[in-house]
Amino acid sequence: MNDIAIDLQEIVKTYKTGTIEVHALRGVNLRIQRGEYIAIMGPSGSGKSTLMNVIGCLDRPTSGNYRLDGIDLSTLDDRALAKIRLEKLGFIFQGFNLLPRTDAMKNVSLPLFYAKVSPKERRERARAALAEVGLADRGHHKPSELSGGQQQRVAIARALINNPAVLLADEPTGNLDSATSEEILTLFESLHRSGRTIVVVTHDEEVAERANRVVRLRDGLILSDLPTSRGHFSEGSIVQREAIPQL
Amino acid sequence: MFDYIRETLDLMQANLTRTILTLIGLVVGVAAIISIQVAAAGMAAAVNGAFRGINMNTFFIFPKSTQGSTQRANLGLSDLELLDKSVPGVETSIPFGQTRTIVNARHQHVMLKFGGESYRRFSTAPVVAGHAIARVDVENASPVCVLSDKAYHRLFPHAADPDAVLGQSVYIGPKRYVVIGVLGPATLSTASLGIDINNDVAIPYTTFYNDYQRGRPLFGIQVLGNRKASLATLEANAKRVLSDAHGGSIYQTFDFAFFAKKIDGFFGVVGTIVSAVGAISLLVAGIGIMNILFVSVSERTREIGIRRAIGASRATILIQFFVEAFVLAFSGSLVGMLAGLGIGDLAQQIFIARISGTIAALPWLQSILLATLFATVVTLVFGTLPALRAASVDPIEALRYE
Repeated sequence: MNDIAIDLQEIVKTYKTGTIEVHALRGVNLRIQRGEYIAIMGPSGSGKSTLMNVIGCLDRPTSGNYRLDGIDLSTLDDRALAKIRLEKLGFIFQGFNLLPRTDAMKNVSLPLFYAKVSPKERRERARAALAEVGLADRGHHKPSELSGGQQQRVAIARALINNPAVLLADEPTGNLDSATSEEILTLFESLHRSGRTIVVVTHDEEVAERANRVVRLRDGLILSDLPTSRGHFSEGSIVQREAIPQL
Repeated sequence: MFDYIRETLDLMQANLTRTILTLIGLVVGVAAIISIQVAAAGMAAAVNGAFRGINMNTFFIFPKSTQGSTQRANLGLSDLELLDKSVPGVETSIPFGQTRTIVNARHQHVMLKFGGESYRRFSTAPVVAGHAIARVDVENASPVCVLSDKAYHRLFPHAADPDAVLGQSVYIGPKRYVVIGVLGPATLSTASLGIDINNDVAIPYTTFYNDYQRGRPLFGIQVLGNRKASLATLEANAKRVLSDAHGGSIYQTFDFAFFAKKIDGFFGVVGTIVSAVGAISLLVAGIGIMNILFVSVSERTREIGIRRAIGASRATILIQFFVEAFVLAFSGSLVGMLAGLGIGDLAQQIFIARISGTIAALPWLQSILLATLFATVVTLVFGTLPALRAASVDPIEALRYE
């Protein structure tokens, strides 16, 4: 078993819009241990969305090395990357991004459909995942029949169903009121306690404060990488200290 | 796969009006093509049925009217024997003689077709009373006759049954013929096609020759071949044998295969025209389906992004949209097929059954295969571009898209 869930080395991402080059990431080094709960922060334009997309295998870095759960992703094609997203990553979005017209059970089991799991097993596992997020009785409700918090929990169940190496959340509480946000953050904490690796991208200090470690980005570089008041350095922290001289 | 199908059906239901409008073209196209198939099959069956009323192995041979010496080409009784002996596959040949004439029974005077026949039967109508012309009648040139169903009803309208007229006499001019048999109705006959070469009153061909043709050249010869020989070979051999016997004279033949071909050709043309119209509406339908798929791709960009983020590869998205295209196209084809079978059947009931009394079985299997084929072609031709566009959706852009 590999202890390092995410290992980013000198990640550079440059976009070309017409003749103008945009340097979204200018050499990011980041190591995330298995079981960590980490927040990535930064103002808009700092490159945090790009970093999120790179970590989520939705985008490829222009240069640099990315190993996810020990797998070098630089050589993989679209099909293989789709497989990585399917097996290693669980996405949670600000806008929930559930399929409309499709009930909670179907939404949650969708990744299993792509993983070619039998319908029977899909149903069973979806039921279990919904139970894990406290929505056992909402399986046949469509997204429009659920509250925002419930929709986000369905999305979390969907993210969890393939037992991914990393849970990747992009502003997970951005569309929720504070009480519901609290519910979701509590859920994250309990997932963290059960050993999940969680990466949250946010600009909300309160959300970031719930993580154990906060990485701040500015202008495509890591500005700081520090444990929060809840955080405690594990063995991997030495690696992180080595990354700090970037400052 | 099943999930995609279910998903597509849900979408079609959610946009019912749009779906119906899109599929109308496809329905019309498929319906046109299938209905004409059914009607043509029905017509073909009817034509075949009509020719079942006569023995199809029959042909007629005549001297060509324009040639050097028509005298030399004249046919006589000796030519009958020659054909019987020298052309393999000939069952019998008789002088062709048929005329429309007034036939008199006790109180009736009716214009009917009157001619000579052999004991080998040309008509396939069943004998319902007495017997057909017998060999002995031909050999003795007996003054006897067999009545068709029509002649029986016209000449003896008050007869209790066909048996009652056996032994009665009919007159043509001063000549008297005794009724020895009555035929039943031929359920199908060439009469329905406007050509009827069956006689209403048939007498032995020897009697006919003695009474009407003696001393004159034969107008033509009617040849009945056996089922083993092909008509074309028989005709060619007969022409050659007669030509050799008459110093190189030229002979013409006539048979019903020619008619059958003509009729088939006519329906071929009609079928081609209707199929062309069908093909055009299929083209329009395909473009409509392509349009709805493009709309669906842009409406569901976000959904595609979600699916991609969750782990669907480009190939998976491509397949999903192909399945959607196929479900759309197949449902249209299926409705079109049912409509086509319905219309074709109706056409048979109204136009064909009245003439022939037959209805061809509906070609269900071919229709289903045809509908599937159309759906597949439409999917491949018109589904590819939208599916490729769907597969090329960038998940990052799509998820940002509100």
